[in-house]
Amino acid sequence: MNHQDALREMAVERYLLGELSGASLDSFEEHLFECSECAADVKAGTAFVDAARAELGVSRAVAPRAESASRWSSWFSWFTSPWVLVPALAACLLVVAFQTFIVQPRLRTEVALAQTPAVLNPLVLANAGPRGGSIPEIVAPEHGDFAISLDVPTSGSFSSYRCSLYNPDGALVWQTTVSPEQARDALLIRVPTDKVKEGLSVFLIQGLPAGGSSSGTLEDLARYRFRVKIQR
Amino acid sequence: MDFVAFDASYVSKLRAGDAPTEQHFIAYFSELIQLKLRQRLRRPEQVEDVRQETFSRTLSLIRSEGGIRHAERLGPLVNSICNNILMEQYRSSSRAGVLEDGVAERLVETRPDALSMVISQDTRELVRHVLNDLNERDRNLLQAVFLEERDKEEVCKEFGVDRDYLRVLLHRAKSSFRAMYSRRAGVDR
Repeated sequence: MNHQDALREMAVERYLLGELSGASLDSFEEHLFECSECAADVKAGTAFVDAARAELGVSRAVAPRAESASRWSSWFSWFTSPWVLVPALAACLLVVAFQTFIVQPRLRTEVALAQTPAVLNPLVLANAGPRGGSIPEIVAPEHGDFAISLDVPTSGSFSSYRCSLYNPDGALVWQTTVSPEQARDALLIRVPTDKVKEGLSVFLIQGLPAGGSSSGTLEDLARYRFRVKIQR
Repeated sequence: MDFVAFDASYVSKLRAGDAPTEQHFIAYFSELIQLKLRQRLRRPEQVEDVRQETFSRTLSLIRSEGGIRHAERLGPLVNSICNNILMEQYRSSSRAGVLEDGVAERLVETRPDALSMVISQDTRELVRHVLNDLNERDRNLLQAVFLEERDKEEVCKEFGVDRDYLRVLLHRAKSSFRAMYSRRAGVDR
């Protein structure tokens, strides 16, 4: 092989690519050791390939990070695609409209009602004994509240009194502890209508014996029954 | 990248033991021998053995009574002697036992040698320029061939090019690199 043959056959490139073998490899190597131009070309090509291998290795190590970032980007772009974005915006508008036109006016009305002075006509349970014959009834405004007035049968042997309100299904609605001083006068209790159910409710008064702990045995003093009717 | 004429004068100096000529001779052919042997021998110490033995026999022949008849064929002579030693190496390796191989593997220097570090430091920047000038497909093509060492036929098929395209691509990249290298060498001088 001479230099022209080597050029024509791109022997240097074939050598660098490992495409030569057998007689063609022997022939080129013999020429390589003789031709300083091809030797310089092979040396330069080898240096290029070695350095390119290192460079491409570095860029490949960086590439997965870029790919990962683009994966995130494409995942995020799924959210910003019109097919998702438009229905999501429509849903948001519906929620905003519901809040603006339904929920907020009702809340405003309720707040206004709560802030407006009104005459309370309490249901007086003072005369309804535990076994009272007639059961009083109160018509409670829906979403409003009503008042109950009752007496606590006091006695010097109790340190405090517990008042509990039960729904017709027996569920406890409200409970509080009253001191003997508070119990001296009739108690006026405001009850939100939303908390109670229609039907026969029970107000239980219990006494906590003096000297006993708060978790001690309570004594039933009065059980007031009254009927709630909700005005819709 | 030096271009020298291996002629009677050069051989005479070698025969006379001229130190600069001998240094040039060893440096020039060492690179070629190493390039030749890296495809054929796995272990660096085997390459080094063959290289040293090649120089030893070549210089002995040059300095022998008859010397060498065709000074202009000095390069092919070095190649021929290297081939002979390589064949001897193959034969001795085939006789070597498994234990010997295992011991030898432990003795292999895996860190990059000083020369390759100098090369990489000096050339990587230039190569980076060359690679950056390539389009993405050509860069990926070189990556598949040289870094991933995939089958070239398969890679060319995948990229929709033929083997000539790959050779021309390498030729162009190598030429750009050589041109940059020469310019830089000129500036450095």
